[in-house]
Amino acid sequence: MYDLIVVGGGPGGYEAAAHAGKMGKKVALVEKEQLGGTCLNVGCIPAKTFLRSSRLFRECREAAAYGVRVGAPEFDMPAVVERKSRIVAALGKGVQGILKRAGVEVIRGHARLLSRNTIEVAGSRYEAANLLLATGSRPAVPPISGIQSEHTLDSNTVFGLQHVPKTIAIIGGGYIGLEFACFFQEIGTQVSVFEMLPQIAAGADGEISTRMLQILERKGIEFHLSAKVLRIEGHTLHFAAPGGKQSSVEADYILNSTGRVPVVDDLGLENVGIDFTSKGIKTSEQGKTNVSGIWACGDVTGRRMLAHAATREGIVAVNNMFGRKDRVRYNAVPAVVYTHPEVAMVGRTEEELRNAGIKHKKSVVPMAVAGRFLIEHEDGTGLVKVLCGSDFGEILGVHAIGDGCSEFIVAAAIMVETEMCVADASEIVFPHPTVSESLKEAMAGVH
Amino acid sequence: MAVAVEMPKLGNTVEECLIAKWLKEEGQRVSAGETVVEIETDKTSFEVTAPADGTVLATFFEQGALVPVFTKLFVIGNPGENVEAFRPQSKGSTPAADAAGSPMPSARNASTGGQPVAAAKASLPHSAAPSSPRARRFAEEHNFHPPVVNGSGPAGRVLEADLRALYHSSPKVSGAASRRVQNGAEAPLEGSGIGGMVLASDLDAPETRISGVREKIARRLRESLASTAQYTLHSSADARGLLLLRARIKASSAGPDINIPDININDLVTFCTVQALLQVPELNVLFLDGRIHQSRGVHIGFACDTPRGLLVPVVRNAQALTVAALAARMKELSAQTVQGKISADDLTGATFTVSNLGVFGIESFTPLLNPPQVAILGINAIQLKAVRKEGKVEFIDSIGLSLTLDHQIIDGAPGARFLKVVREKIENVEQLCTI
Repeated sequence: MYDLIVVGGGPGGYEAAAHAGKMGKKVALVEKEQLGGTCLNVGCIPAKTFLRSSRLFRECREAAAYGVRVGAPEFDMPAVVERKSRIVAALGKGVQGILKRAGVEVIRGHARLLSRNTIEVAGSRYEAANLLLATGSRPAVPPISGIQSEHTLDSNTVFGLQHVPKTIAIIGGGYIGLEFACFFQEIGTQVSVFEMLPQIAAGADGEISTRMLQILERKGIEFHLSAKVLRIEGHTLHFAAPGGKQSSVEADYILNSTGRVPVVDDLGLENVGIDFTSKGIKTSEQGKTNVSGIWACGDVTGRRMLAHAATREGIVAVNNMFGRKDRVRYNAVPAVVYTHPEVAMVGRTEEELRNAGIKHKKSVVPMAVAGRFLIEHEDGTGLVKVLCGSDFGEILGVHAIGDGCSEFIVAAAIMVETEMCVADASEIVFPHPTVSESLKEAMAGVH
Repeated sequence: MAVAVEMPKLGNTVEECLIAKWLKEEGQRVSAGETVVEIETDKTSFEVTAPADGTVLATFFEQGALVPVFTKLFVIGNPGENVEAFRPQSKGSTPAADAAGSPMPSARNASTGGQPVAAAKASLPHSAAPSSPRARRFAEEHNFHPPVVNGSGPAGRVLEADLRALYHSSPKVSGAASRRVQNGAEAPLEGSGIGGMVLASDLDAPETRISGVREKIARRLRESLASTAQYTLHSSADARGLLLLRARIKASSAGPDINIPDININDLVTFCTVQALLQVPELNVLFLDGRIHQSRGVHIGFACDTPRGLLVPVVRNAQALTVAALAARMKELSAQTVQGKISADDLTGATFTVSNLGVFGIESFTPLLNPPQVAILGINAIQLKAVRKEGKVEFIDSIGLSLTLDHQIIDGAPGARFLKVVREKIENVEQLCTI
């Protein structure tokens, strides 16, 4: 009998298992593929590895602007993939080490729930006082004819690409699609993006997504907004533009990045009466499902679908199951899009505040108000936007676009988390010269 | 040239209005047509606008003041112009105005318009005992102003150590929550933020003053209970005819003939009630100062649920209307009421009231009288009821009726007889209504 069995070894599951292990609990973790989950194996980590290489490639080409002359750089795709695999393997070992040190037993195989405290893996039964479901998500497969043809990639298969494609058509202008769009554009691929909605980066603050569109278009990425992909035939993607006019593009590859869906099938959830839909398992802010003793965290809940949100949710669930009161304050979970330029955000968007009827003030400054930003980015562009309550000035949302913002958004997350008011936050000293000073300037602009 | 704006008269029966909210303050510029102040009668609200471009030179009453109609409210003009000639005399205001907001001295009171936080700070720490200079400095530096501090110095003097101890044992409160606490909100011992930090969402919602409309509703209802001897009779009527008729109306209004009006169950029951009142006029009376005033017309008030509270618009001379005309008038009045556009005159003068909670599934209730009326009919939900028919039990649709009466005037038997008439009208509604 275990105190806790975690199903799924991604950033939600393994961190939670290790946390419970460190609390002295008897913990097992079930994983059917690789430890580290989507994030480590086919998500955040490989994507950021690719983007690091593409950025360096672009910077080499732009080096002359900084007074550095290099020869014509070449992009060595197999070497990039090999580096990615090396980093993934190293971090995977790290995860194993974390689990081992925390005394977590790793069970290999596919888990199915038999009852509220029994699971079956590869023919063996295991019992636990608590189950934490952290099965994650998989790429969505939209009902488009030809979506699974040989020239179509998804966010799993794209990491095996061995050469630089001449052209790529990306279905989906969300965070994942945009990151790949930037990667391919920087390594010299002609990129076109097809998005169903009239804007890209849905969920981001409107001002940020508009600015992002301008910047990416200027870089040469072609966007088809409010476009409906009709079918894929070989290298040809057929789509309907707004107004219904049908058209098509040819591409070496077609990348499906239409989002991710929670993995809720073939787990035996119905055996124990868990409240779930295809959009995820329903959970409280404490990580509880409707069945006592069964908890869930991460993408399988369909809530925020971010690795760090999963980690926090898992730890909150473990704290609550062992008597430590905790909850996820979703309003203070930051998010980053690793496009070039980066986007980082925390808290509410201006649209959300307006729709909720919350009276607010805003301040927007160009990132170039920070000297360091100019130093680092020849031709760089970006902005920082602060939203706060109109009566007391409590910081409700911070939204930024511009390289460097991913590293200082955590400061804004602390402000949102502790409901800091602009007047209090202005007492914080920001080191000079750093890009973070643009956040300070944006707060100073709130009147 | 300065001009004064008076409290308008919003209906023949309106004598005074409440200042609900000043949208402009003294010294602010306004354009002609801009709203300066929102006022409320017990029934409705209204915006008073600036008659010309200019500056608000003076506002004579505070928010919440009850001001007689035609009293000067504010003055618009050019800065520097004298406004004293316009200032109303305080004896002109009603007793309520004296209590809640007699005309103000020439400058607006700083304590009402000032920052509550700053005002609170000025008098801190709040405890009656004096504080040492170091304690005062600690309070300022830490923005820490507890309402009560037990001082350990001579004569209860608050020392820095007292404040420091209290500061470190107090719950940590977020910036947003602490500003609300300074405005009067109460912080729980532990919050839901990091390390138990008290967040704004952990605080109770601030106390809010009830609106002028709500205040009047409250007073009316208290008076109703205090000044009458009310009791309620419950009964029910066979609703099969109502449902059949309603179904027929629905079917034909969905058809090609668009002239057939939409008439619902509530309209039909109200129509039956009007007919019953014509047959039993003893209930269509007002009881005022020990005298019974018989009304010739049947003026039906109907309770209307609005965002501002319960309002009762009145269909005058309902006895003269066909069921279609009655339904149309009720629809028109209730739309105006919900939108807050109804005239105050359409909210008074009822001789009998109906109140329908049946749409919410209510099976019976005790409606409260609206004096000087002596009766009010509550309409309840339609439910299945078992009836014995030729030795068999049959289930029929049945509508509940709750009639409240003033026993001062109407005894139980006549009340029951009226309810029986209403029942008969409802059960014969198909013959009664020609559509």
